[in-house]
Amino acid sequence: MKQTSFCKLILPALGIALMIFVGLQFMRPKLSNPPVTAEIVAPPEVKAIFKHSCYSCHSNETRLLWFDQMVPAYWIVSSDVQRARAHLNFSEIAALPEEQQRLALFDAFNQIRLGAMPLPSYRMVHPNSTVTPEQLDILRKYSTTLSEDPQIATSSQVDAAEREYVRWVDGSEAIHTVQSTPDGIPFHPEYKTWKQIGSTERVENHTIRVVLGNDLAVRAIADNHINPWPDGAMIGKVTWHEKRDQTGMIGPGQFVQVELMIRDSKRYQTTAGWGWGRWIGTDLKPDGHTADFASTHCVDCHHAVRRNDYVFTMPINARQGGAK
Amino acid sequence: MLIFLTACSQPSARIQTRLNRDAELSGELPYNPLTWEVISSTLNPVDHTLATISGNEQAIAYARHHASSDYPAGSVLAVVTWGQQDDPRWFGGKIPGGVRSVEFLEVQTAADSGHNYLYSLYSGTPLRKSVSIAEKAPTTRASYLLAQKAAIMP
Repeated sequence: MKQTSFCKLILPALGIALMIFVGLQFMRPKLSNPPVTAEIVAPPEVKAIFKHSCYSCHSNETRLLWFDQMVPAYWIVSSDVQRARAHLNFSEIAALPEEQQRLALFDAFNQIRLGAMPLPSYRMVHPNSTVTPEQLDILRKYSTTLSEDPQIATSSQVDAAEREYVRWVDGSEAIHTVQSTPDGIPFHPEYKTWKQIGSTERVENHTIRVVLGNDLAVRAIADNHINPWPDGAMIGKVTWHEKRDQTGMIGPGQFVQVELMIRDSKRYQTTAGWGWGRWIGTDLKPDGHTADFASTHCVDCHHAVRRNDYVFTMPINARQGGAK
Repeated sequence: MLIFLTACSQPSARIQTRLNRDAELSGELPYNPLTWEVISSTLNPVDHTLATISGNEQAIAYARHHASSDYPAGSVLAVVTWGQQDDPRWFGGKIPGGVRSVEFLEVQTAADSGHNYLYSLYSGTPLRKSVSIAEKAPTTRASYLLAQKAAIMP
């Protein structure tokens, strides 16, 4: 008796579920493969790794396996692919200026090295996409060949840096208002009064970066309370082009940008608890055009260090040591 | 169904939270240059060091608004020089390693209303004063430090 009523209920329910599942298969956003216009130029062994582990999402040659073709997996896959191509597309990368290509490839190498790429969820379903230590070594050697020693600055570079410096130091270029980012993150002109918590030289584009923290950040570092960082902590990173003088010493040349991370776990809940902003050039033009710029650019890259509250810098404790 | 699972893995050693302990200052210094604002940052590709030049309030106020190097009396410049190490979290990045030296240059009022320059160098671990020179005219190293232009911070 019980058995029959059970079947009477369950079977139709299963049938309906199956019909819904089949019906859903027709709701497909279009995922097409645009033509390959400017494919990466790299040694064959390097390209083979990218093709094998990255091309599925990061190229115009997306090949979906049968289970990726099934809705709802297909919905996730197609949005992942669109996002991946926007970040890095091996089918179009050669059209970018050389420096941008270098940056993109270093970025890719670092994301792989940190275990952030291929995406862990993708690796679970496609276990053979994982980049092996041997392959990583091939990519590391390749990345090394991409960065050459900085040249002595040409006279025009020196002049440009000098003109920029004079305008700034004279204050004739005083900025009245700096725009907030498209995400609504306000600029903090007082960043230059913050204290140094780190610095970086980046070989892939020959820049010098100084990392600064506001008082709350400096205190959090002294207390070693940086995972998570307290609300109100702010971190700034200032970047300059390297300028090599005749004696071989390298100093800051032209100003590139200032980037801010502003900790507010409630207000910036949707962007990993931080407000992210980048202001480019001495006129401090906010980077990005769309309101989701931070979540698609900043957070995607910093996601690799999410267990470190999204911060790459290993900060220096300024209050440590015998100094007064 | 697998798709909805996210991989659980141990945090990579590369991204465990840690401070850059190597780069901390040690020993007895007359001032803590890391509590001062930054004037500039330089690299020496020959001995693979990086240095930050910072200054006390008088020095900062002067450096950010004057292209010349005639700092007023009361200005103190500091230079912390670190060896470089590879950034474990970002291949292609080089970050401060151990502290090589800390230098100070104090601009003082001289009896004849000109300036005196007091240069001091701290080195070793922990940092100890190894050089101290007071002069009427800045030494070569002192002149170099005075001539360092502020990095553009709009």
